[in-house]
Amino acid sequence: MTETTAWLPTDDQSQPFFEGASAGELRLQRCSDCQGWMYPLKKRCQHCGSTNLAWRASSGRGTVYSHARLQRVYHPRHEGRLPLILAWVDLEEGVRMPSNLVDCDPADVRVGMVVQVTFEQFPDGTVIPVFRPL
Amino acid sequence: MKHPMNSVTAITGLGLTEMGRVYRDAEDLAAEAVFLALEDAGLQKSDLDGLLINAGIGEGVGVPLHMTLGLKELNLLTYMQGYGSSAGQMIQYASMAVANGLANTVCCVFADSPLKEKQRSGAVSYARRSQPDAMTTLDTIYGVVGALPKYALAAQRHMDLFGTTQEQLAAVAISQRRWAAMNPRASKREPLDLDAYNASPWVVEPFHVLDCCLVSNGAVAVIVTSAERARDLKQPPVYIRGFAQAHNHDTGQANHDPLIHSAGARSAPRALAMADAKVSDVSQCQLYDCYTYTVIVTLEDYGFCKKGEGGSFVAEGHLGPGGALPTNTGGGELSSFYMWGMTPVSEAVIQGRGQGGERQAPNDLIMVSGNGGVLAYHSTLVLSPEAA
Repeated sequence: MTETTAWLPTDDQSQPFFEGASAGELRLQRCSDCQGWMYPLKKRCQHCGSTNLAWRASSGRGTVYSHARLQRVYHPRHEGRLPLILAWVDLEEGVRMPSNLVDCDPADVRVGMVVQVTFEQFPDGTVIPVFRPL
Repeated sequence: MKHPMNSVTAITGLGLTEMGRVYRDAEDLAAEAVFLALEDAGLQKSDLDGLLINAGIGEGVGVPLHMTLGLKELNLLTYMQGYGSSAGQMIQYASMAVANGLANTVCCVFADSPLKEKQRSGAVSYARRSQPDAMTTLDTIYGVVGALPKYALAAQRHMDLFGTTQEQLAAVAISQRRWAAMNPRASKREPLDLDAYNASPWVVEPFHVLDCCLVSNGAVAVIVTSAERARDLKQPPVYIRGFAQAHNHDTGQANHDPLIHSAGARSAPRALAMADAKVSDVSQCQLYDCYTYTVIVTLEDYGFCKKGEGGSFVAEGHLGPGGALPTNTGGGELSSFYMWGMTPVSEAVIQGRGQGGERQAPNDLIMVSGNGGVLAYHSTLVLSPEAA
């Protein structure tokens, strides 16, 4: 991959998520009516059906719902990083999201482990949220 | 009191094309399967008045199949999509239509041809082929692509919570390979032991390649008609004693546990209630086995063992030849062929007729599962060679 290759297509709808990551925040959608949180992208609140959604910074803290080790390259980012730790993280806000765990030995990961969001920058400048043990 | 749907309909015809690396378009395979099912049942094309179609996504099979088949006057026709639960669903809708007089003889067909020449099976994508948006691409960047990593996450959660082991996952693959050795249609018939399983490459740990179903081209059709009519046809009827569906939605919220509790937990008890049967009455299972773990979680959710004990249950040898609960007696999707829910359905019909040859198992009551999405879409059938 060269410096100029885009790793992610961009779209207006998800821009706040990636802008948040660049600013060091895990931003999710939150319903302005029922205050329910959800993992993007939603057009309508999963809890109450409202379309009155806003982007808000989450705590970025959660626990591991489950984990697995990727052993095949599906994307250039995976090159040289296998086994990459896949995880579904249950955030304090009640949202479950897919991500990767970094800065830990795959053998040490357990369901229920407490994790905190951190951020990874790609060669093209895109930033994504990942998690590390707290 | 007997449920009004119990044993009112039966499966009479079964058509299976060649399976595996058959480089033909899915619609042509579907048409062949329909003709094979008609021949099997001793029926003419003109006897069909209903056609339900399900196929792999993006393979070009749809409602126009009735024109390819030259079915001029149908009373029931639609394309259905419930992923891995579709086969069981089609049979349920066909039964309800037949029981209520909307149609008399309904063919349910599935076809798929994801394998292309000179392409590894691992390169096959069942996903939509449109340009992904940023959030979908992010899933790929994380490595959570398609169903496989999510089932691997499910298996790992089961391992962490209940102490389920790699050897217990292996026990499912090994047991089904023993059945496959007795199935001339099975793609993988060579013996499999724990060493060979462990030597199989990792895909997403805890899954080796041998924890994952095959990728197959082919088609399967079954014909549903009234129990009364089925008794006059060429093949022994396989009665539809009970059925149900349950569909869960993974909301992406942390307040439920969809990787441990499948939709089958709600579907199975209702199907058994319709059949006026208990779990202990079941003689054999044909379970959707997209991954080894799917068998373990389905056995638990169907009540064959307690939640969390599926790993030790399968390791005790119940599922294999001679076991107390013969399961996936054709080798299943892991070792025979992957025709979505038609893999378990077709083997259930063969077993229900007593045509399993050397792999024939006790068949008084057969439970069949269909599973789609990530343990989200579920259909259950209870079949028997005897009417209630």
